[in-house]
Amino acid sequence: MNANSRLRRMWADKVLYVMLMPAAAFFAIFHVWPILGMRLAFYEYRILGDHVYVGFKYFKELFGTPIFSQVLANTLIISAMKMFLIFPLPILFALMLNEFVNGKFRKAVQIISYLPHFLSWVVIAGIWFEFLSKSNGIVNDVIRLFGFPAHDFLTDKAAIRWVLVASEAWRNIGWDSIIFLAAILGINKSLYEAAYVDGANRWQIVTRIILPHLYVPMVTVFILNVGFIMNAGLDQVLNFTNASVNSKVDIIDTYVYRVGLINGQYSFATAANLFKSVIGVILVLSTHFLSKKLTSKGAW
Amino acid sequence: MRKIGFPLVMAAMVATTACSTGDNKPSASTTPASADQTNQQPVTISIVAKDLPVDDPNSQKFIKGIEEGMKAEGKNVKLQIVPVQSGTYSEKLGLLLQSGNIPDLIYFQGGDYNFAITQQILEDLTPYIEKSTHVKASMTEFNKERLKNYPYLVWLAPISSKIPVVRQDLFNKAPSGKTLLSDPTIDNYYTFFKELKEKSGAKFAYTTAGDIDELDVVFGQAFGLTSTWIKGADGKYVYSKTTLAEKEKLEFYAKLYKEGLLDPEYLTKKFDTKEKAFYDGQAGVIAGTQGKVIDIYNTKSVGQNGPGANILPLPPAKGKAQGYTPVDVSKESRGFAIAKTSKNKEMAFAVLEFLASPKGQMLDKLGVEGEEYQIVNGKIKLTDKFAAWYPHFVENTVNFKPDKEFDPSTPYLSEPALKSLEMFSSMSTKDNAFIMPAELAAKWDAASAVYKEFAADMVTGKKSGADFDKFVQAWNAAGGKDITDYANKTLK
Repeated sequence: MNANSRLRRMWADKVLYVMLMPAAAFFAIFHVWPILGMRLAFYEYRILGDHVYVGFKYFKELFGTPIFSQVLANTLIISAMKMFLIFPLPILFALMLNEFVNGKFRKAVQIISYLPHFLSWVVIAGIWFEFLSKSNGIVNDVIRLFGFPAHDFLTDKAAIRWVLVASEAWRNIGWDSIIFLAAILGINKSLYEAAYVDGANRWQIVTRIILPHLYVPMVTVFILNVGFIMNAGLDQVLNFTNASVNSKVDIIDTYVYRVGLINGQYSFATAANLFKSVIGVILVLSTHFLSKKLTSKGAW
Repeated sequence: MRKIGFPLVMAAMVATTACSTGDNKPSASTTPASADQTNQQPVTISIVAKDLPVDDPNSQKFIKGIEEGMKAEGKNVKLQIVPVQSGTYSEKLGLLLQSGNIPDLIYFQGGDYNFAITQQILEDLTPYIEKSTHVKASMTEFNKERLKNYPYLVWLAPISSKIPVVRQDLFNKAPSGKTLLSDPTIDNYYTFFKELKEKSGAKFAYTTAGDIDELDVVFGQAFGLTSTWIKGADGKYVYSKTTLAEKEKLEFYAKLYKEGLLDPEYLTKKFDTKEKAFYDGQAGVIAGTQGKVIDIYNTKSVGQNGPGANILPLPPAKGKAQGYTPVDVSKESRGFAIAKTSKNKEMAFAVLEFLASPKGQMLDKLGVEGEEYQIVNGKIKLTDKFAAWYPHFVENTVNFKPDKEFDPSTPYLSEPALKSLEMFSSMSTKDNAFIMPAELAAKWDAASAVYKEFAADMVTGKKSGADFDKFVQAWNAAGGKDITDYANKTLK
């Protein structure tokens, strides 16, 4: 396609480009332009006077910090747990919603499942603390009902990461299912009719028609999720952590918040964020190309 | 096109890092004041403070009161509040200052070290305080000591230390209470806690918000933890939390936890849930900051549970020593600073001086006459509006001497609050903690995390005294050794 025909095509789609402009402006202002500010990672910032170029000083400080390996491991483990364990749930939830015949009931379930997404982690932590309370939480009430001793999940090093995964799933399953439900609802009805005529049952409809239509959104969402593997959830961890389990949930974000932002070490905090961003970009690109090679489908 | 998009962005980013250094000069926020203040335009002093929202009627009233009060003294000043984004104040303030917007008068609630030492944008307040009358008179010995060690912040408030309190109605149900007040040994405290749980209806004797600091308030010194750094037999300092005294203390806490005297969910308690447990009668004892906070506890407790539920401050336990948590005098943890960039430093300090004056303290502490308080029969009577007023600058009552008495029905501080101030000042000692240098911040963070986790595990029974030596090794490995070496160089 030469430049002229490309321009003509763009002109024909001018309304779509106008619609794209606010989003493009948003990303340019709030996501692309700040990349220039990342240079702070290589400077000793001075409010008064010139900044001092220090090269990789803050990266060395970050990697040399006594608990860097621990916070990096926690970040990767928690992120990986969330990514692999939560990823299938919105798809299953969307499939389940699609099976409801009663449209009103389906809408009600959908709305209720979206609600937690709009709650802050402060509120969610409060709710979960009540759920899991050793003395009067509903979870321990059920455990006691079966004759087992109550368990303090929130201070148990082995359980706390599962609590993070479960609370994240509870918050986001409904919301994350929207994209998959939209894809399901977009499937041409004639495909279902043809399948029924051929004698397909519900299971075969799901496995032969619906799931293949979900491959593209699944791959896209998965690849985009990989890019966030270094973001294990600052707000969530800050609200769920306590002295007993901090070594299991202290992630790069909470560490940088504590040592960098609270103490005003902005160059150090920027270095940590740049490190996270570079890792994220590398992972997204490599996952995309790997997916292209294996399935001929990628993020773009 | 798509293939080169990403490399282009990355190249742009790398290129920017090699650019010349940015020169970020803060804009002057004010114009210098002339020496003669009469018949002049008012001098604008910009101020940033927590809980001083621009659109809050009380803030506006307060600012107007300061301006009028200072004008009456011949100082024509206009105070301009600089808004801070909502969120964690210390973090948002840091971002504001880092952007080059530096007000004349800055309230810090932590995070000041970077601006005082690394960025060097804060003024040394020593000469201003030397020349002052009212600010100097409003300082406690602890404040003076802190200013000597770190002359960038001034904070005219009672030392933010906690003391344990119990509800009087619950206290009365424990027969050992009287013995405890006259002889507060560790054993007597233990007996009192047991009786509180068994006889007062409380679910547990003591609760804290997430850690054992508020329990140390009572028992730390009794176990011999009289300072952060303790001199050993060899003359070298060791971190108190790595000593046998700490081990004994944690074993005692573990006993309290095991017997249900310490809240089984203290680790996940926050300040609000801790206080709620206290007002609801679930927790017998909590710790609160002496003075105004105890006053609030008293008001809320009586409001919820009736006049018998007033608050009774408790003494620290008696053992190897006796005292509340030793007071860190290395620096003020919060307070007001003056920017080096200010064109009107003298006038900025004059604001603090006015607020520490008798007139200023009346305004700061009590509000506006006719609204927050009235003069009835020659006495100060606080109105209902006073409940929404609190001091922003001078919480200390060290130099608060109103020319009129308070009406007995509305005292400035309740009896328990006054008692807490008295008890703290008679039973508090100085600590020898020092300012942690920036290069040790990461190690201090790591070593502190090791301690906090071990303490939590030992109290809750996941670990025992047998693991203490391993903890000490882990603490040293996490950076504690380097910090101890630094302590031995720093402490005289």
